Amino acid sequence: MIRLSLEIGQTQKPEAILFYILAPLSVLAALGMLIVRKAVHSALLLAWVMITLAIFYIALDAAFLGIVQIVVYTGAVMMLFLFILMLVGVDAPDSLTENIKGHRATAIVAALGFGGLLISLIGRATLNHVSVGLAMANEPGNVQGLASLIFTQYVFPFEVISALLITAALGAMVLAHSQKSAGARLSQRALSSVRFRGDSLANAAGLPSSGVFARHNAVDVPALLPDGTPAKNSISGVLTARGDVQDSTQYALGSLPKVDDESGDK
Amino acid sequence: MNPYIPILVIGAFGFGFGVFSIVAAALTGPKRYNRAKAAAYECGIEPSPQAQGGGRFPVKYFLTAMLFIIFDIEIVFLYPWAVSFDQLGLFGLVEMVLFIGTVFVAYAYVWRRGGLEWD
Amino acid sequence: MTTAQLIGQDPGWIIAVKGLIVFAVCILLTLMSVWGERRIVSIMQMRIGPNRVGKFGLLQALADGVKLALKEDLIPKAADRIVFVIAPIISATTCFMSFAVIPFTGKVNFFGHETAMQLTDLPVGVLYVLSIASVGVYGIVLAGWSSGSTYPLLGGLRSSAQVISYEVAMGLSLVAVFIYAGSMSTSDIVAAQDKWWYSVVLFPSFVIYAISMVGETNRAPFDLAEAEGELVGGFHTEYSSLKFALFFLAEYVNIIAVSALATTLFLGGYHAFPGLGFTESWLGGWFTLFWFAIKVLGFFFVFVWLRGTLPRLRYDQFMKFGWKVLIPVSLAWILIVATLRTLSLEGAPQAVIVGFTLGIVLIVLAVSSLFDRAREKNEVTARDIGEISTPSFPVPALPVAKARLEDHV
Repeated sequence: MIRLSLEIGQTQKPEAILFYILAPLSVLAALGMLIVRKAVHSALLLAWVMITLAIFYIALDAAFLGIVQIVVYTGAVMMLFLFILMLVGVDAPDSLTENIKGHRATAIVAALGFGGLLISLIGRATLNHVSVGLAMANEPGNVQGLASLIFTQYVFPFEVISALLITAALGAMVLAHSQKSAGARLSQRALSSVRFRGDSLANAAGLPSSGVFARHNAVDVPALLPDGTPAKNSISGVLTARGDVQDSTQYALGSLPKVDDESGDK
Repeated sequence: MNPYIPILVIGAFGFGFGVFSIVAAALTGPKRYNRAKAAAYECGIEPSPQAQGGGRFPVKYFLTAMLFIIFDIEIVFLYPWAVSFDQLGLFGLVEMVLFIGTVFVAYAYVWRRGGLEWD
Repeated sequence: MTTAQLIGQDPGWIIAVKGLIVFAVCILLTLMSVWGERRIVSIMQMRIGPNRVGKFGLLQALADGVKLALKEDLIPKAADRIVFVIAPIISATTCFMSFAVIPFTGKVNFFGHETAMQLTDLPVGVLYVLSIASVGVYGIVLAGWSSGSTYPLLGGLRSSAQVISYEVAMGLSLVAVFIYAGSMSTSDIVAAQDKWWYSVVLFPSFVIYAISMVGETNRAPFDLAEAEGELVGGFHTEYSSLKFALFFLAEYVNIIAVSALATTLFLGGYHAFPGLGFTESWLGGWFTLFWFAIKVLGFFFVFVWLRGTLPRLRYDQFMKFGWKVLIPVSLAWILIVATLRTLSLEGAPQAVIVGFTLGIVLIVLAVSSLFDRAREKNEVTARDIGEISTPSFPVPALPVAKARLEDHV
């Protein structure tokens, strides 16, 4: 550890300062990610860790990789995470029940194994060597150097990535797409035609709005028809499906204290 | 001078301005607590109770985000290819046609299955 | 000496002064453009617009800012307080950062120091702007989520889906520019346009970029994230006081930023209009700033013009347009440009290039006529639905029915 810090002390000054400022911040954020309660806070801290990683890449003269790290990880992957958090409900508490048998034991074994792997890899890092070849690799320009490698020497892995992307699309479709929503839907024009040329003009000017005027105006209270029955089509189908519709008869005029007839006439 | 320092400088200006505005707003504005003001704004309508678990996004958006990642990765490969296009020559064009073609299969599949329909 | 080396020699104080100037100009431009937008829209709508505060109402935006500062800073009870405060700071920080790589002038004399009015020049400059934009989305999503209220959540959801959809089209539209410029550095791209602007050479790319930049900045007719008629204010519904002002500022600075990027990539940046190249050396090179500003303000005027002219798109139409039109078209265009470029690099005979171009034109025509036919088919089904049920009440004769009657008579 002491040798490691000595090594870092020998790197160029600005880079070392950058490292000493950002590394603790990054580690703190990573720890905080595990500790904080709300999933969105966790995701934000993870985004910060990714940005600091990108800055380290840039400091190590890998400009393209650093920027791509921000575009792909912070911009796209973390956005997917945020979407998923909002899919399950942003305030949903973490479920602590174990669904998979032996979940905890497996997790501990995997964590220990991964930790061992990391320690062995970092332990084998050679510290006293001067790195060579970076200037040579970046000689035609960072992006150009990368391109000439990807598109000549590593053509095959590059083409395989496209197959991986197909798999990703396929998986997303299987997981998230319901065939039912893909059914034929009437266009706005057809709907309008049905509304005005259908049997009844009752709904031609639009569906009744929710709420019982002057008594309650919320969207989950059905409007009352003149005969006192609630109008079903004044409520969004989503609320009905969710079972969040209130009984509007409690706000009906009949349950009001008697109003002066005179004022009513005027 | 390192070419990334100016980015820090302009970023610091923006960040400083943001923090300054928020602190200033806390100092200059009045503070008069009112229960109605602290409630969620729904145009004067009494807020309807949220569904279990708070606001949820439709699962559709997962697909959008996934497609975005796919195309983002494609773009990330297209950029270095475009920059050294002249050096790569015909071979570069052929491999990129293959790559775009394969990713386009995924895109066409999602389109065909109705993954690109919104209501 | 390249621009990167030229800027690299800047001492610290020049960097600080340049940064301050860019920042101050952005703030000032925001104040002016808010006023300008309101005046232009009011002229388009035959109104007068703000003309009370200062000469011609020029100080209107400043007065609005002061008013906002004196308003109560509300944080709703259901809000997540930390994220609620962080979100506007993210927006305000990222919107300025895109300007770091924009070249405003060519080589100029800056207080006795040879430099260019550009903060920094990165080999990955344009990708850097895209990355900043993708971080900027966080401001909107987090603002929407942290408010703990329905409208902001819907606005945040919409805008994040919208911004990521149009970011793909935007990213794809730039590929053709890189193919021609052979670089992602903004100053190289401007330098490569000293003869022909890319908006001429790569016209389809320019059109796609111009459309997607409006989608990217959440402006009319793509302003679904803050559709006043549907979502009150969208993601910033719950924001008040200067926090709201920060989002407002970020929106306008972003408009200027995408306009500046469009100018840099497609309209020759700080180069003069064709035939006026001699003006570039006026005032020791500072006159190039005038050309840059003219082009950016032109873009801003188009933004306002769009807002004054077009109604807002429906959400499904909007997403459909992004995913089903812009993305395939830009992919096809990339392949066309790449093939043409390869053909000319490999020294293919003129006849092959002309034949390829003609073939592409024919394919485009065929596809568009197929689309038209498919649409006609849909129209027919709509009419059929209308005639399934004969109305039981009197309706005026439809033009088609009338024509048919006359035929019988």
